Amino acid sequence: MSGISRSTLLAGAALLALALAGCSRSGDKAAALHAPVLADTAVAAVPENAFPDQVYWGDTHLHTMNSTDAILFGSRLTPEDALRFARGEKVRSSSGVEAQLERPLDFLVVSDHSEGIGTGRELFNGNPAFMADPTLKRWHDLMLGSNTDQETAARELIGAFTHQKLPAPLMNLGNLVRITSSTWEQQLATVERYNTPGKFTAFIGYEYTSTPKGNNLHRIVIFRDGADKVGKIQPFSSISSPNPEKLWAFLSNYEQTTGGKVLAIPHNGDLSNGLMFALTDFEGAPMTGDYAKRRARWEPLTEVTQIKGDSESHPYLSPDDEFADFGKAGFDQGNLDLSTRKTKDMLAGDYAREALKRGLMLQQKLGTNPFKFGMIGATDSHTALSSAGEKGFMGDDASVEPGAARASHVQTNAESGLERTGWQFLSGGYTAVWATANTRGAIWDGMMRKEVYGTTGTRLKLRLFGGWDFGAKDLKGNFVQAGYSRGVPMGGDLPAAKHKGPPTLMVNVLKDPLGANLDRIQVVKGWVDKDGQTHEHVYNAAWSDPDKRRLDAKGKLPPVGDTVDLAHATYANTIGAAQLSTVWKDPDFDPSVRAFYYVRALEIPTPRWPVYDAVRYGAKLPADARLKDQQRGYSSPIWYDPKG
Amino acid sequence: MSEMPGLDLTRLRARAVAVLREPFLHFVVLGLLIFAFNAWRGAIGDPADRRIVVSQAEVQRLVGQWMQTWRRPPTPGEVDALIRDHVKEEVYYREALHLGLDRNDEVVRRRMRAKMEFLAVSQLEQQTPADATLQAWLDSHSAQYAQGARYSLDQVYVTARPGDAAAEARAKAILRRLQGGADWHRAGDPLDAPAHVEGADAAALSATFGPEFAGAVAALPVGSWAGPVRSGLGLHLVRLRRVLPGHPPKLAEVRQTVENDWRAATLARREAEGYQALLNAYDVRIEKPK
Repeated sequence: MSGISRSTLLAGAALLALALAGCSRSGDKAAALHAPVLADTAVAAVPENAFPDQVYWGDTHLHTMNSTDAILFGSRLTPEDALRFARGEKVRSSSGVEAQLERPLDFLVVSDHSEGIGTGRELFNGNPAFMADPTLKRWHDLMLGSNTDQETAARELIGAFTHQKLPAPLMNLGNLVRITSSTWEQQLATVERYNTPGKFTAFIGYEYTSTPKGNNLHRIVIFRDGADKVGKIQPFSSISSPNPEKLWAFLSNYEQTTGGKVLAIPHNGDLSNGLMFALTDFEGAPMTGDYAKRRARWEPLTEVTQIKGDSESHPYLSPDDEFADFGKAGFDQGNLDLSTRKTKDMLAGDYAREALKRGLMLQQKLGTNPFKFGMIGATDSHTALSSAGEKGFMGDDASVEPGAARASHVQTNAESGLERTGWQFLSGGYTAVWATANTRGAIWDGMMRKEVYGTTGTRLKLRLFGGWDFGAKDLKGNFVQAGYSRGVPMGGDLPAAKHKGPPTLMVNVLKDPLGANLDRIQVVKGWVDKDGQTHEHVYNAAWSDPDKRRLDAKGKLPPVGDTVDLAHATYANTIGAAQLSTVWKDPDFDPSVRAFYYVRALEIPTPRWPVYDAVRYGAKLPADARLKDQQRGYSSPIWYDPKG
Repeated sequence: MSEMPGLDLTRLRARAVAVLREPFLHFVVLGLLIFAFNAWRGAIGDPADRRIVVSQAEVQRLVGQWMQTWRRPPTPGEVDALIRDHVKEEVYYREALHLGLDRNDEVVRRRMRAKMEFLAVSQLEQQTPADATLQAWLDSHSAQYAQGARYSLDQVYVTARPGDAAAEARAKAILRRLQGGADWHRAGDPLDAPAHVEGADAAALSATFGPEFAGAVAALPVGSWAGPVRSGLGLHLVRLRRVLPGHPPKLAEVRQTVENDWRAATLARREAEGYQALLNAYDVRIEKPK
């Protein structure tokens, strides 16, 4: 077993015994348990495991007061506050509430909007160049007003931004560069100070906020490098170009000129009104093979779940999937600012599962799959607090931090008349990365390999390996070692088949030690037939109480039950399972067609955050508010190609 | 925002100087009386003072600000208008102060407060603390940085829902067998977590098994099978093999973290002290409604 977690101590590691051992019993599936390294980079190199068998939790998408919309909403917390909160410290929120994570995160990407980064602070401070503009003066005044005033200012800013109607001083990049470059420089310095290899990874990153006509084409940019390289560039913004291809060109240029590495992650397909995974390029021309290659190269991951909805799939696209309605209410009726109503024909371009299917179809046509992405979750919180999870949700932005009113708070687009209500927001997700160590290099490489999964805030531990000869006996031994040596982990491509027969997926899901039991593991398969038609099927692969719960003729499973007590915002783990594992064989395998497989793990029902608000603050919840959900995790897919 | 990138500043400045040489401007400047007022820097004139001076520096500032917005020098007529507007603002400002309008205006109050808070802490951001400063900080907060005890242990997992008496009994039976020397490698149920843990601190144990487990381990005897210990995952039989006691770290090992913490705390303290110093000059009486 030593092979699986042999640690190599590098130079100068006069460090405490870091040893880790694997498991030494035959029935054991586990890997090693790291002792965290309490040391700075200067002191010792961080040991790395032989296999990426450790899971690291983080948030790839978080805003602080350096984001113009965040500070207009009332955020007064800095990147430093965000980093301190993420690594587990107590922080006072913008509304004055003390906040602390139940347990720390392992990494964080502070990803402020690059568009005019830091200008909100100048607006707040009354920069004279801004005060000469009546709209900016108005926003400045509103920023000093009540919560409602602040929200008004933020919504007006977002509306103006998404419809290219920002006041002139905010559109003039030359004019803004003194503010944006000094903010960026300070932000880099702070992130560098908090990056502690082996203990807590602080990534340099930002958000590219392309939003043509209110349709969300946002990307998070994450650098593998430190300020020595990233400090040579200024972040690319959608004011320079709303066309993501220009962002890719910028990223390519960054790598060539600095020798660094960088990737981009799209999010909120659900708010793109059909554009995020369109079959065309940004200008509406048919997609080319070259476009497909660049997209696949620069965008290895997609953020499929966050505060502003879940973009895995939709009941309209997946009518046989009874769990596809999660996080759709309020977000499937329009685009980001609700300026345009969504129509059914747009849905296929909005959701990740459909995009994975479209990717297979495009590969058939273009030779490259543009949508061959791994899946993650994030918060996109604008409070500087990465607080995914129902119990400690700190709100979407500083105007809706915890309190009695936020669940019924209505946001309306005056022109379209479309509305979104507080309870519809999710508490946000987290990203889990399988990596060899907690360092920028190891975690970023895990993202690039797509050896990642996303959750809706829970920290369930999900392993998936694909191969041709896994069997039930592998689960009894060290399945991690078997998985890496005889198959590929999540995010990988099935190797060419050595013999006939269907692929086998080895899956193990362990519950969050602080969370709910598991209801079931599902395998989601997508494929494209010879005529270019795409298909999907959701298989129940393992579930709790299999002696009592049996599949019906259609492969459906009786519900796991429900222990939620709404009056006290509690649930009991008296149903469900702590761990589920299986070796699953595709019963409908056709070796001649392209396919992908990913795992969705569902927890038992638990109360949603508005229920906690009702108990804590006496919040009166709207009659239609959703009170319970089955929180979940989404693995990155494993792909099968007949050509191997 | 004193300079505009991408502009030919020299040329603009030359044109601005030409404007400033206009005779009418001299008339305006000389025609006003002597009292330095620089609202930009936050100096506040005595509202009772009836003299207003617009200095040459002040006019230059107004012109510079205008250029930042419009990216060209103002015409003489525009300079005239800027100055008239400035004087008007000054007159209204003083009259407003005279009437006490600033005192009950929430916006004015919050903005002034923000400026004062910023002044209190702005210098500290760039400062690099001396080793002695950080060592003193480390010494006075040693518990915070102490490397906690490290535990080496073996654990056998037994799946159990809360309140499951049968699982509890099964765990106890397994414990008796383990205490009797049975092979622990073959005991219990599979779990995707280490059975054999080497030198993990409480945080690492907590991340894998949950805080309940991490807390319970510290109290277990060393060298023999014990339990069952309940975690968020189920029940565990645990043999604690070795405990390495914690120790205070050297500054070099935690320097960056200490510096981050020192800076954050010092910023907060300076602001609080700055406020306290000002507060001390006031006699504050609070009359709460009964």
